[in-house]
This record gives sequence, C-alpha cells and structure tokens, in this order.
Amino acid sequence: MKRIDSALDTRSAEFQANRQHNLALAEMLRQQQAAVRHERPARDMERLERQNKLFVRDRLQRLLDPGTPFLELSTLAANMEYDGEVPGAGIVTGIGIVSGREVMVHASDASVKGGAWYPLSVKKIVRATDIAVENRLPMVHLCDSAGGFLPLQAELFADRHFGGRIFRNQAILSKMGVPQLAVVLGHCTAGGAYVPALSDYSVIVRGNGAIFLGGPPLVKAATGEEVSADELGGCDLHTRVSGTADYPASNEFEAFAIARDVVAQWKRPTKAEVEWQEPEAPFYDASELYGIVPRDIKVQFDMREVIARMVDGSRFHEYQPAYATTLVCGFAHLWGYKIGILANNGVLFNESAQKGAHFIQLCNQNRTPLVFLQNITGFMVGRDYEKRGITKDGAKMIMAVAGSEVPKFTVICNGSFGAGNYGMSGRAFDPRFLFMWPQSQISVMGAEQAANVLADVKLRQLARTGAQLTAEEIAAIRDPVVADYKRQSSALYSTSRLWDDGILDPVDTRNALGIAISAALNAPIAAPSYGVFRV
Amino acid sequence: MRHEWPFGSVLIANRGEIALRIVRSVQRLGLRAVVVYHAIDAGAPAVARADQSIEIHGSTPVAAYLDGTQIIAAAARAGAGAIHPGYGFLSENAGFARACREAGLVFVGPAPEVIEKMGDKVTARAFVARGGFPVAPSAIEDDDPGSFIERARAVGFPLLIKPAAGGGGKGMRIVRDPALLASEIERARSEGQRYFGDGRLYAEVFVENPRHIEVQVLGDAHGNVVHLHERECSVQRRFQKIVEETPSPALTPDLRREICAAAAGIARNANYTNAGTVEFIYGDGKFYFLEMNTRLQVEHPVTEQVLGIDLVEQQLRVAAGEPLAFKQDDLQPHGHAIELRIYAEDAARGYLPTTGAILVLQEPQGVGVRVDSGIRAGQDVSAAFDPMLAKLIVHAPTRDAAIALGRQALHDYVLLGCKTNIGFLARLLGHPAFAAGEIHTGFLDAHPEVAAEPIVEPAILHKLLAVAALTSRPLRDAADAVPALHAAIGAWRN
Amino acid sequence: MAHAFRLDGHDHELWLSRSGSVYQVHVGDTCVPATLTARGAHVHELTVRDISERVVIACRGDDVHVHLDGETYLLRYSHSLERFAGQATDEAEAIARAPMPGAVISIAVESGASVRRGQALLIIESMKMETTITAPCDGTVQTLHLHVGQTFDSDAALVTLERLKEAP
Repeated sequence: MKRIDSALDTRSAEFQANRQHNLALAEMLRQQQAAVRHERPARDMERLERQNKLFVRDRLQRLLDPGTPFLELSTLAANMEYDGEVPGAGIVTGIGIVSGREVMVHASDASVKGGAWYPLSVKKIVRATDIAVENRLPMVHLCDSAGGFLPLQAELFADRHFGGRIFRNQAILSKMGVPQLAVVLGHCTAGGAYVPALSDYSVIVRGNGAIFLGGPPLVKAATGEEVSADELGGCDLHTRVSGTADYPASNEFEAFAIARDVVAQWKRPTKAEVEWQEPEAPFYDASELYGIVPRDIKVQFDMREVIARMVDGSRFHEYQPAYATTLVCGFAHLWGYKIGILANNGVLFNESAQKGAHFIQLCNQNRTPLVFLQNITGFMVGRDYEKRGITKDGAKMIMAVAGSEVPKFTVICNGSFGAGNYGMSGRAFDPRFLFMWPQSQISVMGAEQAANVLADVKLRQLARTGAQLTAEEIAAIRDPVVADYKRQSSALYSTSRLWDDGILDPVDTRNALGIAISAALNAPIAAPSYGVFRV
Repeated sequence: MRHEWPFGSVLIANRGEIALRIVRSVQRLGLRAVVVYHAIDAGAPAVARADQSIEIHGSTPVAAYLDGTQIIAAAARAGAGAIHPGYGFLSENAGFARACREAGLVFVGPAPEVIEKMGDKVTARAFVARGGFPVAPSAIEDDDPGSFIERARAVGFPLLIKPAAGGGGKGMRIVRDPALLASEIERARSEGQRYFGDGRLYAEVFVENPRHIEVQVLGDAHGNVVHLHERECSVQRRFQKIVEETPSPALTPDLRREICAAAAGIARNANYTNAGTVEFIYGDGKFYFLEMNTRLQVEHPVTEQVLGIDLVEQQLRVAAGEPLAFKQDDLQPHGHAIELRIYAEDAARGYLPTTGAILVLQEPQGVGVRVDSGIRAGQDVSAAFDPMLAKLIVHAPTRDAAIALGRQALHDYVLLGCKTNIGFLARLLGHPAFAAGEIHTGFLDAHPEVAAEPIVEPAILHKLLAVAALTSRPLRDAADAVPALHAAIGAWRN
Repeated sequence: MAHAFRLDGHDHELWLSRSGSVYQVHVGDTCVPATLTARGAHVHELTVRDISERVVIACRGDDVHVHLDGETYLLRYSHSLERFAGQATDEAEAIARAPMPGAVISIAVESGASVRRGQALLIIESMKMETTITAPCDGTVQTLHLHVGQTFDSDAALVTLERLKEAP
C-alpha cells in the first residue's frame, strides 16, 4: 500500500477558518457530554449518598479494567426531549473491558429520575442489546431503576421494539451462548425484574438490591399484603431461598469485586478471522481533520485527506482510481485490521453506484470489514441519468450493502441526504455501529433545498390567488422552514433520538472504529449472498 | 606439634548457631563432631556439617534437648568421649555434668560442684559477698521463706524478683508498685518452677538505667585463672541481650581494671575451671556482682574477635587437661567488636516472635564481618524454640568504625520469609545516643523510636508496589488478559 | 482499583497494565512504566523511571517479600473479595485466637462446658511468659483446636465457642 500524498495546505486561510470552527464544535461537544455525564443537581447526588449508592460513573470505574478504553454510545440521547431533564436518557451504555473481556455495559443512572425508563431510555437499552446480539458481545447490566416512566408508557410498552424487546434480546443472546451478568444495585421492578432473571449470572447488594414483579405499593394495592422491599425481593430472599439471584454482596464495592470475578470466568470467544498486521499510527496528524471539514456543508472536500488521517501509516490502496471518482474505494488498515473504505467525493453517479456495488462484493469475497465515510448529497438526478439507469444502479448498490455479510461501520462525516444515505449503509442497513461528526446533517434533502421546495409550493398556491410577495414575505415563509429543517437534521437531533450510536469528535474516530471492529469480530462472518442485481 | 586428645569425638548437645559454631572448632582441631537433633532440626546446618548426627526425642522439641539420659546414651552410641553443652539447655545443669562424669565422659565446662555453687544465684551471691566483692542489696527467700515478702519490701523499690535457679533473663520481674509485690512473686515462682524446676526466689535492688558489664574468665585444671576482659551488654529487651560489645564505652581504664580483677578474683576463689562469665550491674561509678554464668555465653564472639582467640578451642583444651597457653599479660585486646543478635521477632509489635519459612538468605561477609548462623535457606522458623536465628559480629579499629561496619553489614543482610529485627538493629546502630555510647538496660524503653516501624516513604512505596505488581500472578494475569488493541489504546474515552 | 497489597497495615490499591511488551504500574493517578529483570537467585534489577536498582524478591503464595536498599518489606496480596466483604452474617460463633506464636501449656475447660465472658480457657507460653486466654463472650465450648504441648502461629484459632443467645 502506498501512503496517501496529502495535498492539504495547512496554512491556507480556508484551513485555518475551518479549523477554528470545528475546534469550537468539538469543544462544545466535549462540554455538553461532560455536563450530561457528570453534572447533576446536588440534591440528587445527596439522595444517592443517603441511600448508600454510588454514582453510575463511579460504578463503571469499579467495574471496568483500569487503563482500558470505554467507548460510550449515545451519550447525548434525549438531549432534545423531556425538556432536557433526562440526560443520556438516564442510561449509560458502551463497550468496555472487564477482567480482560470485551463486554457491552448497560447501566442505569439512578441520579436521573431515580433511573426511571423513559421511551428513549428503553430505545437506548434495546439498541445496546441489539448490538450485543449482532456482535455476540457478552453483557453486564448494572440495574438500579424505578421502572417504566408511567406517563409515557404508551411509547415504551406495547410495540415490537419497545420494552419487551430488551428481554427478547436477552433471551436470544443466551440462546446464542453469549453470557450476561446483572448486578442488582437498586430496584428491579416489573419488567425490570427480568433483566437479572434473564441474565446467566446475577449479583445483588444487600439492603439496596431488590427484584420483584410487583413492588410493595402494588402488592398492597393488589392483595392488601404489607411487606417491605427487602422482605419481598431482597438479597437474602433471592440468594438463599428463591434462587433468583446468585451472589449476595454486602455493599457495592463487594458487588463489583464479585462481578469482575464472575466475568473472569467467562471463556474468551474465538474471533472471526480477518487480515491483520501490527498497527501503525497514521502518518498525518489527526488534528488536521478540523481544518479539512468545511464550515459550509455545500463546500466539497477530498475524502482522501480524511482517510489519510485515520488509517495505519496513512497507507491506502485505491480501487479503480480513475473510474467514478466521486466515490473513493480502497483498502487500508485501521488499528491493524484490514478494511475496505467507501467514501464520497461528490454526488453518486451511475458509475459510482456501480463501482460501490462491485467493491462491496470484492470486500465480501475478501472477508474485509467495510467502513463507509458518508458525505453524500444524493444521487445525480436528471433525464440523462435516468435514461442510463441511475435508479437501477442505486438499487444495485443498496442490494450489495444489504446482502453484505462482513461487518459494516458507518461514519457520517458531513452530509447524509436522501437515498445516498441508504447506498452508503445508513442506519436501516444494519451497520454494526454508526457514528456522526458534530457538524454533520442528515435528512431526506438539504435544508435549503427542502425550504426551496416547500416555499415553492406555497408560492405557487398564492400565485393562483394572484398575490405578489415581497422579498421579506418570501423570506418569512422560507426562513422558519430552513431553521426547523436544520434543527431536525442536526447531529444533536439525530443522536437525541438514537438514530446513531453517538457523536464523535473527528479525532476520536480512529479509536472508536478500532474498538468497534474488535467488538464486531466476536460474531462469525458468513459467506455473502445477494438478491437480484437489476443489471 | 601434634596434640594428643583424650577423646576422639565430641558430642554437641545443642542446636542452632552455637551447635554449628562448636562443630566447626571441633573439626578444625582434628576431632570428630557428633550432633544430637530433634526432628524439627533435621535440616539444620549443624546436622549437615557434623561427622555424625543422632536423632533424639521428647514430648516437645525443647524437652528432647533437656533429656540428659538420652544425650549421654547418644554419646555412648557414637563413641564420643566428651560432651559440649553449648549455652542454655543443660549447660548449667550440675546433675547432667555429674551424670557425664559418672558415665566416664568429659563434660566441657566447669566441675558439677562449681556449677551448683555459682549457678544458684542465692549461694553464689553469698559466696561472692564473703569474698569481699561488691554485691547489690537483696533478700533471699531461702533465708526465711515466711518473712521473704517483708524483707523484699524492705530492700526497697524498684525491686527485681528473680528465680534462684534461673538464668538467661527468664522468670525475672521488675516491681515498682509495692501493691503488686505479692502477685508478682507468685508469677515469678510459677515461671521458675516451670523453666528450672525450682520455684525459689530472691529479690534484689533494681538499679535504674543500669549498665550490664560482664567479664569473660577462663580457668584450667592447674589453678590458672585469667580474665579475657569485659563486654558491655546493656541494650536489652525483656532482660534479654540484643547487642553486646567490647570494650565497654562506659569504663575508664581504672574501672576496667577493677571490674576485670574482681571477676578473676571471684573465679579464682571458686576454683573455676573452663570458660565462664561474671556479670555485674554498673551505674553511677559503682558496680555490683549480678551472677556468674558457668558456661560459654552467646556473646563470646566479640571477645574472640578483639583477642584473636577461639574460646571453644580453649574450652576443649582445658577439658582435655591442658594448662592455659597464655598469661594475663598476653591478653591484649585490639580494636572494637560489636555483636548484633538477629531475632525472628517484630520489634514494632512488642518484639512478638515471628514465624515463617526462610525463602532467601544472603548473609553479609567481608573483612571484619563474621556471621554465626544456625539457619539456612528453606528452613522453617517455628515457635518451638528461642527466636534467635544468628549473630552478626563486626570488628574494626574503633567503635565508630565498628558501628559503621555493622550498619553496612545490616544493610547487606538479606533474610526474606520471616520478619526479623534487622531493620530495628540498623535503626539502633544509627541512633545518636548509641553512637555516643549512652546505653543502659532501659535504652529501648527510653527511645521508643528505635523499635517503632518507620513510615514507608511514598517514593519507596511506589517502587515496592511496582515490584509486587510485576511479581504477582493475579496482577500479571489481569494485565495479560486485556486484548492488545485495548491495551494499546489505553484509558481513552470518547 | 481491582487489586491491593497490604503494607504497614494499609491496603494500597494498584493495577498493572501492558502495552506491547512494556508493563505499567497504576497507583492512584500515576501510571509508571516499570520492568523487573532477573539477575539470578532471587536477585532482580528494578527499573522505574529510568532508575535501576538491585532488589531481592521472594514469593510465597500471593505474598511478596522484598529487600530493597537495606530494608525488608512484606506485601500481602489483598484480594478484593476479602477487602470488601461485609460482616459475616453468621455471628453465632466466637473464636478465641492466639495473640502471638507459642505453645499450649494447659487447658482449663472441656468441650461442651459453659463459660462466662472473661473465664480462663487455656494458658499459653510464649516469649518465656505465660498468658491466659479468656472467653470473648458467654457461651459453650464447641471445639478445642489444640492439645497440650502443641505449637501455633499468631492469630491461630485456639477455641471456638458457640455464643449464648441473648435473652429477648
């Protein structure tokens, strides 16, 4: 592989302006995440202390191996919902190392509304268990929840991928032979009681931990029986009498010591084999990414410059370098793993879609994981392209993406509009992980474009009535649409609703992908098979 | 000139460092060394080094080494013509010395009658006083058991209660509060009964901050008696010596002459033969006879170093009937020698005995450094015996040089697996009061910082934790368990 | 942190991580690379922050004995499961333990005897002194663990009592 020759002028005004802009965005992301992770009202922290409970971040520290990375997912979930009062949706999920094993961690944050499950909390947990199932990752659940948030029960209970899906996924995970451990640090009520019950191993803290299908108030209302939480479903009852929980712990510190010891017993899975060599740091400085990504989403940039700052030694073997140049395809190594990269350098034309479909098939033949770096405004439109079958070609690319058996990883680096999102392995196409960059946007079409279309419709309506509009009146119709669109296509909006697995600072992408690839290889890679390519 | 010995083999009725030390001298003189041992000592260096070793049995290990009958039988079996009793155990047991004589064996030590007379503290004291030598005010129970408590009380407080048949610091109690006198007497009596088979007591004035000065004496069967100068053994805990040195930093040349002459005079009066030590209490320019030990002492090596003499050899020659090879004026000591007793104990916790297997042993060596050791790597230190493991003796031209040499040797002394007092000894030697020679039997009580465990500095703590981390299986396994990718990325968060 | 060694009566938490072939020791907020090279017969060279020194190391079980710069240290591995264990719920038993190593001289009670708190159970000998071991609470003698003449180490269980249940 040859090292990418960077043509970047890091001293240009453009570079500097971009850099300043993106650094500010990265700083804002860092602050926002810090606030969501650590800032809590004093009274909530005091309540935890009174209850003899550790804050979720301290719990994670005691659980995870020191000196190892933790890839936290969807930190900013629910940032635009529930009046911003449920940071992270009250749940922490992520991939970490416990006693040397890769695990998916799902932890309740009892400092947020007592750990109650809001609709997005449920979605976040379902997503974590989905990832565990797809990647065969063992799971550790840190349970401490007040239960479902009743006022919003309609959005978290009945549907297929609502609350029940968590337990279904747990059962499927077990069916696949993947172990789970639950550490019961607080209440597990009603549905929540199934989390430890469906886990192969469970630890329960005396005094605080409790498991019951109905809590004391419910029991009293239903049968008139008066009983304390501990008597009803506490540590000693479940570890000595009912056998619902496995290990009693006198306090949280002991619980985590036991938890780590349990995980240390799990066999290490055989990983799927892919090409690998000793890792090498990129030749170019990752912080230059801040200067590469433009301030204005309409401005084009060369994805090769991004690739050069992400892959081992900045080395890249480009496939079909002369053909369909708006889609860059090629091989590289990332943290040692060989990967196939598809990256947008413009609109998708017929040739680009064909090239993409072809390259995806090559990677599947080669058992090479796929990384999609999205910056796509869409497929080319127009009579000429339709004549040449661009819709067909788009369909071919989608067929290839969907039939792909090697793990896929998607990073939305800039724009992700329309069908281009699909061809480039958007959320619906089951990339094992999907991340967004802070300035990225995702919607069916660009905000300006959408505003133009909507305003156009309105203007034609008014024209039929014979009205003439001033520039200001036109702006008054267009601007709110643009603003609304921009909000709803922002990375923050997407991550709030868990359309992605988190916003990444661009310089963190390499590590995040390395950890993601490693986690993904816990699942076997099947031989590829595709539907019919409309040729 | 070849020497004809009246015995070809010597049986050593002892264990530990002294057994090995005697075996070495016996063999150097061309004689056969036979050692008796209890099963618990089967791996001891003395047993490995001896020409022959015979196992002895007892209800406890100590009981085995106290079984005179068994030991004499072993000597007969091995064809040993002499028995060296070492120190402790049967070394001051007149009955055993007599039994040896009756069995036709040479007992390497004084005559049984002398052991009896000088070994009994009460009779010895009276004998020494009659000879005109200074003794401390006291009350002897035997004089009139009924009035003992009153007479003891009359001696005054603080008062020292001792078993009459005792030695080596066992069974002694200091009474400062008159109200406790009766109960302390009962305790001392019970211990005396148990250790020496004799519950009789005597009480003596206790000199505050006294210094313990003793004089080595040697007499032959031809009426010659010499002294081999003094040793100071003031640094003690629970009446047991920890550090001994010669010459004593406390004495003026005149006092030294007086004390040594007194000791020689006492030994001469008693018709003393073989090696012995006369112990005195010294304070405020006055000295009193304390007791006489009718055997070789633990701390004899310091005398050997400054005089260039092998005392065990001298004992064997005297026992063989030879006259002393030197006159008093021939004995000119050179330089300064210090002995440090290495104990298996935790000085910071009241000198509690410690146990453990000796995992690593590296004894210091070099010019002026001598280690008399009874242990080897792999040995188990148990609670069955006295906790003394070895003696470190250093010899240098001056006291300061000897202290420096001692500190260096202690620094290099490696004994891992059983906690010892090596660190404590190093702090002791480094203490300014010790360097100034301001020592007395209450030194350690007066300077508790010597025994106190020093705080481990953070810098050293980090090094120790690094050692522990890299050595320990659980930590290494946990480190190796982390996948290479995550180990390389390290503590990163997105 | 997951591991700890006990030194000087305190637990010191630490962790070891590896990056490639280099080990790093994590203590508190510090993370320092360290290597230990064997130089034969328990002697090693410890290198921390580019400073090397001679150290003698011996292990027994998970305990590490170290001789460094003239001083001897014992670091006892403290397993997290023991460190964080709460009080045993079963307090029906009380055990009289040896305060120091020694030997049993005489036993004053029989198995099954009722004893009061402070009552003499047995007499031990150590450091040339006798010490009486007394009952830590009211109860019944369940097991006498040693016989007369037997030696024991510090903290050894001497007598197990069944606690007398307090009247409600």
